[in-house]
Amino acid sequence: MRWMGVETKQRDFAEFYRRAADECLRAVVVAAGDQDTARELVDEAFARAWARWRTVSRHPAPEAWVVRTALNAGISRWRRRRREVSVPDPAVVNDPSAVGGTSLGLVDPQIMAALLRLPARQRQVVALRLILDLDTARTAEALGIAPGTVMAHLGRAMAALRHDLQPELQQENRS
Amino acid sequence: MNDSELSTAVRESVAGIHAATQVDEIISRGRALRARRRIPAVAGALTVAAGGALAATALLPFGHPTASAGRPAVASPGRTADRPVSARLAAWTVAKQANGDIDVTINQLKDPAGLQATLRADGLPVTVSFSGSLMNASCQGYQAGSTDALRDVAQVHGDDLVIDPSALPAGVGVAIFDEPGAGQPVLSGNVPTHGTPPAHPPAPPLLTALNGPLALGLVDASPQCTG
Repeated sequence: MRWMGVETKQRDFAEFYRRAADECLRAVVVAAGDQDTARELVDEAFARAWARWRTVSRHPAPEAWVVRTALNAGISRWRRRRREVSVPDPAVVNDPSAVGGTSLGLVDPQIMAALLRLPARQRQVVALRLILDLDTARTAEALGIAPGTVMAHLGRAMAALRHDLQPELQQENRS
Repeated sequence: MNDSELSTAVRESVAGIHAATQVDEIISRGRALRARRRIPAVAGALTVAAGGALAATALLPFGHPTASAGRPAVASPGRTADRPVSARLAAWTVAKQANGDIDVTINQLKDPAGLQATLRADGLPVTVSFSGSLMNASCQGYQAGSTDALRDVAQVHGDDLVIDPSALPAGVGVAIFDEPGAGQPVLSGNVPTHGTPPAHPPAPPLLTALNGPLALGLVDASPQCTG
């Protein structure tokens, strides 16, 4: 007789974490603009994913669930801290060096600066569409907005990034 | 610069970032979160039970005629209010979801006949044994199966099983049983080295229930084995 094993919850989750953790972290870095905060938020989101793995494992895009949870946790955290001390809204920070953690050499400073100049929602769309590689429908579902709105945000974000980065990238190509 | 080049540039701009937290640490935090979630939920359940509203169904296994006749569904993930009643107080619960999946939560290895009858009533060809033997002697393991086939049929999440009957190949059923050496936590994939040698080649232990490792496999369906 031949018996086949089924994966335990822990093995399932560990496999998912190994596969998705880097991409989720990169997406949250792009959306939140701060590596240190992003790491904390993504750890928290993955811990929540473990706590309700039965649900999350059935999600059509569990990576999107993690990123959405991380971003929601970031918003809650920002609101709490805002009452205590003056904390800059990452959406209005123009200088990446003003946001902790982004000057650690792991990101391209020019591109990160251009991303940080985008409105928060556009950064979220860029994070989900370009970093997580979700399609428009999944991105819309994760962000709770219409697919047309996702396309509009992405189009504006790409135009703004192209405008910001074109001279720098052309200069890099020439040199 | 076209969209493709720009997309690539954005992706490459963060490609040097890697998650540094070990998965064990994440799981530890997740366990703490889950424990915190359960405390108020259990307290709420006990309050309800004290009021007598749900005591009968909560304390009886779902194989009991009273419970199976008016069986409350296992709470959906978002419905935490009634989840602790089933998750903490019943030996096991069974709920058939709208998509056809059958959710089985096993808290105690009691009343296997009731669990088996309930699952069969939900259309699942199944044999259940909590007596330490692998399964009904009339059962034969499904020879043509594979690990992937079983994963299509069942997922194990802690003490919860999610079974998709539509994924069963024709003429195949499910066996749920506990392993010899109950109570000893055994890593998945290892063969237990203690306990009475089973009549069949031992199955890999799959998860640890309250009273020991619980296992699930595929068997040839027959009236004697899976009903």
